[in-house]
Amino acid sequence: MEPIIKVNKLSQKIGRKMLLKEISFEVLPGECFGVFGTRGTGKTSLLHILAGVDRFTSGQVEVLGSNIRKTEKFKHDLGLVTQERSLFPDLTVAENLDFIAALKKASKADVCEMIERYELNELLAEPVTVLDTMGVFQRLSLACAMLNSPKLLIADEIIKDIDLYSRNLILRELQQFQAEGGTCVYAFSNIAFCGYMSKVGWNYNSGMLY
Amino acid sequence: MIDVKQILNIAHYEVVHIFKDLILFLIVFAAPLLYAALFGMIYISGTLQHVPLGIVDLDHSAESRAVVSAFENAANFQVIPEVNTYAGLEEGMKNGAVRAGVVIPKDYSQKLSQHQLTQILTVYDSSNLIYGYNTRKYFQTVLNTFSAEHTAAYLGGLGMTKQEITNVMDAVSFRMQVWYNPTFSYVTFLFMGLVIMILHQIGLLSIGLTVTREKERNSWIQFLCAAVPQWKIFLGKALPYFIANFFNYGLLLWISARFVNVKIGGSLALILLLGLLFNVILVSLGFIISLYAPNSLQVTRYLMLLSVPLFVISGYTWPATHIPMVLNGLARLMPYTWMAEGFRLATVKGLGFDYLSTTILVMTIMAAITTCFALSVTEGRFLCTARAKSRLIKILYRR
Amino acid sequence: MPKRNGTGRRNFIQNRVDVIMFSQSRAIMKRELSYMWRDKGLRNILLIVPLLGLLLFVGVYSYQRVDNISTAIVDLDKSSASQQVITGLKNSQDLQVIAYPNNYDHLRELIKKGEVIVGVVIPENYGKDVALGHQTKVAVLIDGTNMIYATNATSAILTVTRTLGAEIGIKTLIAQGIQPNQALEAYQSIEFREEAWFNPTMNYAYFLVLAFALNMWQQCCTLTSCMNIIGENGVRSWLQIKASGMSTLKLFFCKSLVHIGIFMLMVLPVYFFAFGIFRFPLTSGWPLLLLFTFVFTISLHSLGTLMSSISGNAVNATRFGMVIALPSFVISGFTWPLETMPQWFQPLAWILPQTWFFQGINYLTFKNQGWEFMSRYIFVLGLMAVLFYSAAALYAHSVKTLFRKG
Repeated sequence: MEPIIKVNKLSQKIGRKMLLKEISFEVLPGECFGVFGTRGTGKTSLLHILAGVDRFTSGQVEVLGSNIRKTEKFKHDLGLVTQERSLFPDLTVAENLDFIAALKKASKADVCEMIERYELNELLAEPVTVLDTMGVFQRLSLACAMLNSPKLLIADEIIKDIDLYSRNLILRELQQFQAEGGTCVYAFSNIAFCGYMSKVGWNYNSGMLY
Repeated sequence: MIDVKQILNIAHYEVVHIFKDLILFLIVFAAPLLYAALFGMIYISGTLQHVPLGIVDLDHSAESRAVVSAFENAANFQVIPEVNTYAGLEEGMKNGAVRAGVVIPKDYSQKLSQHQLTQILTVYDSSNLIYGYNTRKYFQTVLNTFSAEHTAAYLGGLGMTKQEITNVMDAVSFRMQVWYNPTFSYVTFLFMGLVIMILHQIGLLSIGLTVTREKERNSWIQFLCAAVPQWKIFLGKALPYFIANFFNYGLLLWISARFVNVKIGGSLALILLLGLLFNVILVSLGFIISLYAPNSLQVTRYLMLLSVPLFVISGYTWPATHIPMVLNGLARLMPYTWMAEGFRLATVKGLGFDYLSTTILVMTIMAAITTCFALSVTEGRFLCTARAKSRLIKILYRR
Repeated sequence: MPKRNGTGRRNFIQNRVDVIMFSQSRAIMKRELSYMWRDKGLRNILLIVPLLGLLLFVGVYSYQRVDNISTAIVDLDKSSASQQVITGLKNSQDLQVIAYPNNYDHLRELIKKGEVIVGVVIPENYGKDVALGHQTKVAVLIDGTNMIYATNATSAILTVTRTLGAEIGIKTLIAQGIQPNQALEAYQSIEFREEAWFNPTMNYAYFLVLAFALNMWQQCCTLTSCMNIIGENGVRSWLQIKASGMSTLKLFFCKSLVHIGIFMLMVLPVYFFAFGIFRFPLTSGWPLLLLFTFVFTISLHSLGTLMSSISGNAVNATRFGMVIALPSFVISGFTWPLETMPQWFQPLAWILPQTWFFQGINYLTFKNQGWEFMSRYIFVLGLMAVLFYSAAALYAHSVKTLFRKG
């Protein structure tokens, strides 16, 4: 089986700091790859590189069969949920969904489906900045990430510090996503989630341990 | 088809943003108007009139009174009667009560009657050269008239008839025509340069924050991970600003011509073409700046500080022929220089396409280069470089 | 830490408090300095901009005067009389004859292209007409597009034509049988002497360069002082300062002291280059200039602080400050005189400290005004500082209490 993600000797250096040092790993279709590490160990960096949001210093990265330095094609089948809030803060929930759908060339039907699935109906007119709980915000982030029905989902600390209801809802959706054959990459800092993963990478001392 | 829709969507949400961010809204729609109104008010009188003049008449004779009345009748001067001694004139010139002075010597009428050479002294304040040069010109005008009258009177005294006098005096007449700005209006001279500078600064500043802002708010990630091509982001984001800038261009021109009495003539098509090219350059340049800029605070700071040097080296006021080559070359790289000059040639001189071909060519090349760059550049799109740079500032001034 | 000595515990405590107060202030000042230093953008601006501005403007105005204005003469007569006119024009130091186009259309083309500014057309039969005492007309065309050219050219032409007119008139009179001394008298009994005071060479560099550089400087100062309050409020470490129980007044006093000190340090090299190296005129002497600049710095800083207190974040504070700082030079009437602005607008212009500053600089550099005259300026600037600082404090305070209630 062709792996979804193929990382070979990936290094990332920001300023003088070596964040990632010659990491290599593979993620197969349907797998759920977990990246574990405490704060500041380069989880977010790695995820951003995989999503094509950051560039990297050296190494090869292939996602969904394409070299991410050369093409952006793979992004059509990619969803990203970031750790820091990255939605448009001045727009409402509905506008965010609509705009990101436009960016991802998703249809109106997709938007409606996401609203339904993530139970965002009552919040549509709320500005994103007013969403008081992280849980609701993460539901929206995930909904936005799922708009283009991705084959690969990259999520950074998606269920950290959120309310129980949202957490269950998100976990339910993620399981469903995997059941439909989706591949995931998660970053987390709570060891308890290891159980959900099919493979866990531990980013330690700039190197990768399994 | 779907491509256009995506661009329009980006444009739509940029507009939503402009309307939600009060300050940005004011920058785009109110600031140009406000500044134009302010400068318009400052320069509205157009010409320097009623220059306060002190006349020191040490002679107090009929002849010297003729000199005084020549100045009293001159439209450009306003005689300040309080200043009537030499010491008073010196003091008045120092504290700004008068800007010019005439000194008629004590023996003026006596020397005239004795057919001796006498001297009238004119002084002007050149600590402000706008006063200095204009007053000098006004003096020349008044003195030319006065000396002609004096000659005529003298010849009359010799028993010549009026006709004979005119024949002698007008043997050679110098007919002076000042073209393009015959009234020496500062409004026509300076004001549009300021207006173009306003459009330049506001244009760059408003779009110069569009990507920087997204980066600071992290939402730039959404553009990146959705694989929206660079050229679509550019077109979508630039479209609202392009329209707003062009609207402002038209509005300010109309106001300048209608209320500030700026001379705006020439071909409308040419004016529109210049505006269009200038606008394209501004929008794409601003977009490039916003891609590369580490954060919006720096963008705002640097852009604002640029306005004075850009204006000064452009040769719009101090003529380019009198600026050293190196600085002139530098100025030629700036779109403002070309636009300000081209606009003046088109509107004040009323020149046509054939005279402006170089300007248009250069501006077209500039527009093409900046647009290509804005459409294609992928450098600086990515977050990590910008983030690393701005992190320090972010920590310092948490916004 | 002071050592305990015999003067008693009370004295010791007092000492200690003093030392703490002092070291606290010093710590704040040090921190403020390091903030300004570490903000690379600000550091570059403060270090480079005013001086770079000065050098740039010195370069631009290095010719100092607009003379040698390009002139073209169309001589349709080609006689000795027309040659006389040409010589007259050539002798004027403001004009430089660079072209002799063949006809009027060619001349017009040159003016349109901007290659010449002044055009003179001497008509056919000029020499003959003058000799015969017939009327003849010399046309002078001036391109009024750039007024710096146009005003100079007009003055030059007016002088030349008056001299020429007199010469020809005298000849005509003599030809008509009038006594030569009478003919001379008719035209030349009055001599007009002109004196340009304060700036006798009409030097543009003296007039504008320093003012432009100071304009850049005041913009930089505005940028910095706009960060005075917002730079603190926005930062998390603000909580640390609050928790330390230090009075806000003292905090901002120390910060402001650093800012004002830096501003003065920035302007010194500008003055040094301007007066020391480029030899710009400074008639009033250094002490008064520095005192005046110092008072202005304080009032400018107070205005920046006010802007800082009413805005929500650093970018907006910068924008608000610059809204005032950018046009203030034009408003100040340093170039286009205040007196020509609309009546109702003039009092408004005097609200800005910049107006007082630039007007004052003109008096100090050119007109040798002493303490007596300048004391009013210094007093007003000082008053402004008090007003603006109080307004800033009031505003910041009322907002804070609002927050507390909210």
